[in-house]
Amino acid sequence: MEIFLNRYRNLTVLLVVLVAQLLLLAFQVKSNGDVRLIRVWAVTGVMPLARVVEAVRANTTGFFSEYLVLLDVKEENKRLKSSLGSLKMENQFLKTELATADRARALAAFQSRSPSRTIAARIIGTGTGANSKVVFLDRGSNAGVGKGMAVVTPDGIVGKVISSYPSASQVILITDPTFAAGVISQKSRVHGTLKGQGHSICLIEYIQNEEQVAVGEWFYTSGDDRVFPKGLPVGQVKIARSGKMFFKEVFLVPSGLQQGLEEVLVVLEGVHQTIPDSPETPQTLHLLPAPPPDPNAAGQHGVLSGNLSTDADQMLEKYKRTGAAQGHVFGQAGNKPPNFNLPPDSGSVQPPDGKAAVPANPPLR
Amino acid sequence: MPVKLIRTDHDQEERVKLILRDDTKFASVKIAFFQYLSVAVFLFLVSGFWQLQVQNQEYYIDRAARNRIRSQPILAPRGKILDRDSRVIVDNHSSFSLILARENLKTEHLKSICEGLDIDCDDLRERLRRFDRTRAKYESIVIKDELTPGELAFVEAHRGQDTFPEMELIHAQRRLYPRNGFASHVIGYTGEVSDPELNTTEFARFRQGDIIGKAGIERQYNDILMGVDGQRRVIVDNRGRVHKVIDKKEASSGRNLNLTIDLDLQAVAELAMENRRGAVIALDPRSGEILAMVSRPSYDPNKFAGRIRSKDWNEIRDNPDNPLLNRAIQAQLAPGSTFKPFIAMAALDSGAIDDSFTVHCGGGASFYGRYFKCHAAKGHGSVDLHKGIVHSCDVFFYNLGNRTSIDKIAQWAETAGFGQRTGIDLPGEVEGIVPSTRWKIRNYRQKWYAGETISVAIGQGALTVTPLQLAHATGGLAMGGVWYRPHLVRDPSHQTPPRRVKIDLAHAASVIDGLYGVVNEGGTAARSRLPGIEFCGKTGSAQRVSNEFMKAHRQKNPLTEEDFKDNAWFVGFAPRQDPEIVVVALYESGEHGPEAAPIVRDVIKSYFDKKSRTTPATVVAAVPLRQQPFPPPQR
Repeated sequence: MEIFLNRYRNLTVLLVVLVAQLLLLAFQVKSNGDVRLIRVWAVTGVMPLARVVEAVRANTTGFFSEYLVLLDVKEENKRLKSSLGSLKMENQFLKTELATADRARALAAFQSRSPSRTIAARIIGTGTGANSKVVFLDRGSNAGVGKGMAVVTPDGIVGKVISSYPSASQVILITDPTFAAGVISQKSRVHGTLKGQGHSICLIEYIQNEEQVAVGEWFYTSGDDRVFPKGLPVGQVKIARSGKMFFKEVFLVPSGLQQGLEEVLVVLEGVHQTIPDSPETPQTLHLLPAPPPDPNAAGQHGVLSGNLSTDADQMLEKYKRTGAAQGHVFGQAGNKPPNFNLPPDSGSVQPPDGKAAVPANPPLR
Repeated sequence: MPVKLIRTDHDQEERVKLILRDDTKFASVKIAFFQYLSVAVFLFLVSGFWQLQVQNQEYYIDRAARNRIRSQPILAPRGKILDRDSRVIVDNHSSFSLILARENLKTEHLKSICEGLDIDCDDLRERLRRFDRTRAKYESIVIKDELTPGELAFVEAHRGQDTFPEMELIHAQRRLYPRNGFASHVIGYTGEVSDPELNTTEFARFRQGDIIGKAGIERQYNDILMGVDGQRRVIVDNRGRVHKVIDKKEASSGRNLNLTIDLDLQAVAELAMENRRGAVIALDPRSGEILAMVSRPSYDPNKFAGRIRSKDWNEIRDNPDNPLLNRAIQAQLAPGSTFKPFIAMAALDSGAIDDSFTVHCGGGASFYGRYFKCHAAKGHGSVDLHKGIVHSCDVFFYNLGNRTSIDKIAQWAETAGFGQRTGIDLPGEVEGIVPSTRWKIRNYRQKWYAGETISVAIGQGALTVTPLQLAHATGGLAMGGVWYRPHLVRDPSHQTPPRRVKIDLAHAASVIDGLYGVVNEGGTAARSRLPGIEFCGKTGSAQRVSNEFMKAHRQKNPLTEEDFKDNAWFVGFAPRQDPEIVVVALYESGEHGPEAAPIVRDVIKSYFDKKSRTTPATVVAAVPLRQQPFPPPQR
């Protein structure tokens, strides 16, 4: 077959062309098209090329024309962005300034209201220990800052100075595990010792299980530690529960660290104040007026002996009440002898079983 | 032609040899030197080694141990003090104490520590000095007990490495005494042993810093109440932080002690003596058990429970009323008319008078050129023994004294237990004075004048007694001549056999009959009568200063006259037959004996009220210890 086609190649080509012509004619007749096939073929053949050429042209011209336009937009965008950034920074700066001004006003207000002599200081660095909560202040011994001085904000106590250098000082924060301060509760005037725990919550120790401490109650400095003047806010109780041994477990959120720390006051000469009677509300600009003196604040008993008594105390109290109930003055002439078998608080009522009344509070055994 | 010296090989060889010989010599010297040096260094090191490891081994081991081992005391709780019904009078409670680690102590810290904890710094320095003399450096010293919440806050805030690392807290058991000085003179108090005490045989076995009983029962029975302290040895680092507990010797607590005190009676006696100076003693004459003992003014032993502050101590010490004085056993005062029953017994027993003896009281009488007044200015008219006791007629007893020699009076007084310690188990009891001819010669080298007996006959003059002696003597008389040693601990081993003296029971009955009349027959204590209870007693008013002194003083300074008012006494017992309780009240500056009677009345009433409400099983049986029953009254 191949040999045959090679021998009659011209004829074969002619025949193929003629047949193809006939077929195309038949197809055009059959399809009733208005456009001649040759044109269709021409268009069909040319279009891809034309498209490519056009695309190239369009892209090329578009690129050049649009690039010039975009160049302006980008510049403008950049300018706008720059402007926005500046505005944002300005806004942030103003916010910071505003907060700083607020704090400064609060510090100034606190300074003017506080009877203690204080000096404002800015925090310039922090410590490096994993658990240590130590910061550095920009005031040192040249400004009168000394070791052991209290560091406070209008919101509460912050820490105490542990080292003082000529132009800076190191402050241990209230949350440091080695920090401790004497505190007193606002309502029940219960004394305790606040200790840092290495995180944002502090623990109050040495409050007996019998004492009343409510969640939300405010604690203030008691002045017992000889570091913090009495009457400065310390924080609010978050958890209060009975402990396993003698003491309650009281956890407190320190109020002095809630607003962040930038400016603080170092107490150069502390003056004790009274504990406010009304609950403290979070505020930065003003302080509550000074409350009346607190008559119950002094805790003279041992930390575990405050309310303890023996049977002897109970007995004395019982006979005192028995005598009072019968109008008897002990050891007094012209006094009718009392009936000591009557219950202490029931006047002339005889006990039904004739036994001595049991003291209201069982004594310590 | 010059001679040319030709160096031969031989010369060269010699020279080389010479050089080589010199070098070897030089090197050998150096080597020898270094050898000797090495030996010297080695010997030096060996000697150091010898000194460190052999010669002073103990010393260096001890020093090394001190650097890392710290001894912390574990304080032993003392035994509780209970009343006769095992109710708690003195308890213990948990507290915090502050100790100083002396090896870390920096003396410049002391001032601040003292200031923060309100400690007398000079006192602390002195204590540290004393401690240094007797205790090893690594032993800590307790410098304050009973820390208040405020003091705890101070310690916690400052005990870090940055401030006062020598401060450490320990948990200890501390004394809890009744409040307001309740029974404080009976109980006493504890405190740190002092240098003078360490030099006594009683306390020689203690060491500096030990807490001992200082007064009262705490001191008397210190060996029973005091436990044995334990110790905890810990390894600390150079900053004083505890790393490991090496060993721990637990403390052993002291034993509890039951007293004869009855809290019911004690409470009533305390209340009856409120705002008064004086003393009250209640005892059971059938056993000598002290049921109540009060002395006022008193002190708060809780202040001593830790270490008393100088301020508190000075306050107590400088109090002119001397609150530390246990008036029940240490006040030596004229008994006044409460002594008259014993004068009557002396007069009757010596035959100076008989039951029919009477005198006329016109308000006074003259003896040996001096007029002696009766307390009743209008007189008592015809007075016999019964009336003389009931109305406490001084003229009657002046006559008794005049008829009875001072030595007979002294003899009977001593028989009753006056002029000598009763032997109560409390430290510091005094003897009082029973005057006699021998006493006066011994003390004043003077003879006794008959006129002096007149004063003694009404319980004045040189005669002094303690409230306990009066209670003890009256109880024995009411028991018909049986005297038990007063005691405070309810332990049969502490009871001694009674002292029995054969007395004329008819005479005793006459006297007791008079004492019954004092309360129940319109006598001097008629207002203190107790219906249903055979309450007998005797009032007494005793001058504290002479009339002459009073007159002179009144002109000088009338404001202090209150201080010289007569002391009021009352001694009472009940019931008349087989008495169960004797009570004495001394009311200083009470002026009149009847003022003291209601104190005794209240205590006796509380005794019988309690007896009526207790079940029969717990009532102490009234054992008839009297030698024989009193005969019926003669009147």
